[in-house]
Amino acid sequence: MQAKQPLLKVEDLRTYFGTPTGILKAVDGVSFSLNKGETIGIVGESGSGKSVLVRSIMNILSSNAIIAETSKVHFNGKDISRLRHCEAKHFWGTQMAMIFQDPMTSLNPVKKIGTQITESIRFHLKASKKEAIQKALELMGQVGIPEPRKRLKQYPHQLSGGMRQRITIAIALACNPKLLIADEPTTALDVTVQKQILDLLASLQEKLEMAMILITHDLGVVAGRTQRIGVMYAGKMLETADTKTLFRNMNHPYTEALFKSIPRIENQAHSRLEAISGYPPDMTRALLGCRFAPRCRYAQDQCLNEEPNLFETDQADHQQACFFPVGSPENKQAHAVNQKTGITAAGLALTAAVRS
Amino acid sequence: MAGCGKAHLRGSTALLSVEDLVVEFPAGRRTTIHAVSGISFDVLEGETLGVVGESGCGKSATARAIMQLPPPNSGSVIFDGEQMTQLSKENLRRSRTRMQMIFQDPISSLNPRRKVNEIVAEGLSIWHTDSDDIAIRRVHAMLEAVGLDPKAVENRRPHQFSSGQCQRICIARAMILDPKLIICDEPVSALDVSVQAQILNLLTNMKKRYGLTLVFIAHDLAVVKNVSDRVVVMYLGKICEVADPDRLYTHAAHPYTDILLASVPKPDPHMPIPKLQITGELPSPINPPSGCRFRTRCTKAQDVCAVQEPSLQKISSNHFVACHFPNETSTHVAI
Repeated sequence: MQAKQPLLKVEDLRTYFGTPTGILKAVDGVSFSLNKGETIGIVGESGSGKSVLVRSIMNILSSNAIIAETSKVHFNGKDISRLRHCEAKHFWGTQMAMIFQDPMTSLNPVKKIGTQITESIRFHLKASKKEAIQKALELMGQVGIPEPRKRLKQYPHQLSGGMRQRITIAIALACNPKLLIADEPTTALDVTVQKQILDLLASLQEKLEMAMILITHDLGVVAGRTQRIGVMYAGKMLETADTKTLFRNMNHPYTEALFKSIPRIENQAHSRLEAISGYPPDMTRALLGCRFAPRCRYAQDQCLNEEPNLFETDQADHQQACFFPVGSPENKQAHAVNQKTGITAAGLALTAAVRS
Repeated sequence: MAGCGKAHLRGSTALLSVEDLVVEFPAGRRTTIHAVSGISFDVLEGETLGVVGESGCGKSATARAIMQLPPPNSGSVIFDGEQMTQLSKENLRRSRTRMQMIFQDPISSLNPRRKVNEIVAEGLSIWHTDSDDIAIRRVHAMLEAVGLDPKAVENRRPHQFSSGQCQRICIARAMILDPKLIICDEPVSALDVSVQAQILNLLTNMKKRYGLTLVFIAHDLAVVKNVSDRVVVMYLGKICEVADPDRLYTHAAHPYTDILLASVPKPDPHMPIPKLQITGELPSPINPPSGCRFRTRCTKAQDVCAVQEPSLQKISSNHFVACHFPNETSTHVAI
């Protein structure tokens, strides 16, 4: 798998923001690679740095962002982390494109749908107006919009949320990008529409042989739809693996906790959810030790003082960053120690961890 | 689908009883949006009623009509023995202390310029029920009950909190006057899965601790199933199915319920993703389809569905469906 050159290779990406309260380390050393036609899911809570990660790859960060000198983003063998705006402009749309969370705010409310879809076709492919409209109609058919000719003349507010998201997908696909980044494409949508949009993305991806980065906070969304998953927390990748391996073998306590907090439809009504207590850490402060330790049920003294790095597990292509991986004898011992005292090394009471 | 009929009502023992509720909004040029078209349901004391359906099906309009915000166009809302639609302004104001609401977006439903203790104490200061120091003590106790540290949070403003913490503040604000009924309008759909679990657990705890009755609205059947004692499935202003949550999952009788069940993402990569048998968009509530409103997207639709509106029929104890061709519930297992 590693033999051929990956489409996208991110090495030690660090994106910091200068804020009034200090340097905010939104992404703090993330590496991963993505092959042609492959889908990776990036999962984590709000504020874990998922969006900043992909915005760094796209080069669309705000002006107070700083990308570390040592960070490298290779796309098709070319370093794109330091592209100037005038170069990046030819990159967006044709090489990589992005779909955002809220389709209402990512579309221009005062421009017609037709204008918005044809804009990039005319700019990148130098198509005439007539050709561009023809292509736009084709795209709208592809993403399942009924009566495309009528929609061309409509404004975003005249469409439902699901339809708007289909339009943003059509715009993203207009110039056949090699990589599609979907940043929580369905979080603002109903479950029924979510399923339609995810099905659509999967079928388009297969047809067009694009690679895709699918960002979500819900492990359920990425389960059936990605080849690989990376779990992010507080700017770090905590576990990455093949999707099936990950679900069979959740090594990191955070992955396990995220998984357990999903309400399962096959559970009995009123079954108690195992929520993760507490909130993610303040990223402007210096963080010592494992970043998840304050909320972890298995935390030991070692976790508070020493930061675990991603390391390979017994399984091929499965990396995780925990001293006490779930299912290992060390983990069982740590769990037993914490159960005995009723409190973790970070001071989290275990009863609270289960209750709230 | 969907319809009228009151077979599922449980008589006068209910805390909240809604009958033939109609909510319509003018849409200009003499057209009307039929948001809610004659639905009936009731909620017993101490029960959690889950209401589930897509955006635009009238869930929120129903919730607001119960609160008389604005009052429904017709129909009756009886809460705790009082006909809410006929109360005078002053009596309505008094009644509202016993029913409170929690909204979808926790950050925008809190006033950004006010401190947390002012937000939570507002109900108390309006009613002057307690002296100042007792009121402060009640606010602190309530903040603690929703899992916030009163000393640390009371002088902060909403923008300093995450959305999960803001939702806790909203719950504290709703609870401070000791209401009987809380209407939760999509309280967790703007939250992350991990925070969602915290808030769902908190609502369950609060319900037990204060003996609350909840109306819980959401579009995700898995979430609704987790908290509810009874589930109402709505589509385009009508009720399709009423059942207890476990039965709804194993024996869904309405084709629309099947679709909702199949849409919930399964956190298991080894399970095949079910094919969705729904096409098209939600029809316009300005001009809803005749007969069964779901027929335009239903795979089972026949001629009769366009002509005759199905009414809610009992198919087993505590299970009612409004469909001319319901699934065979004796053998059917959902999905």
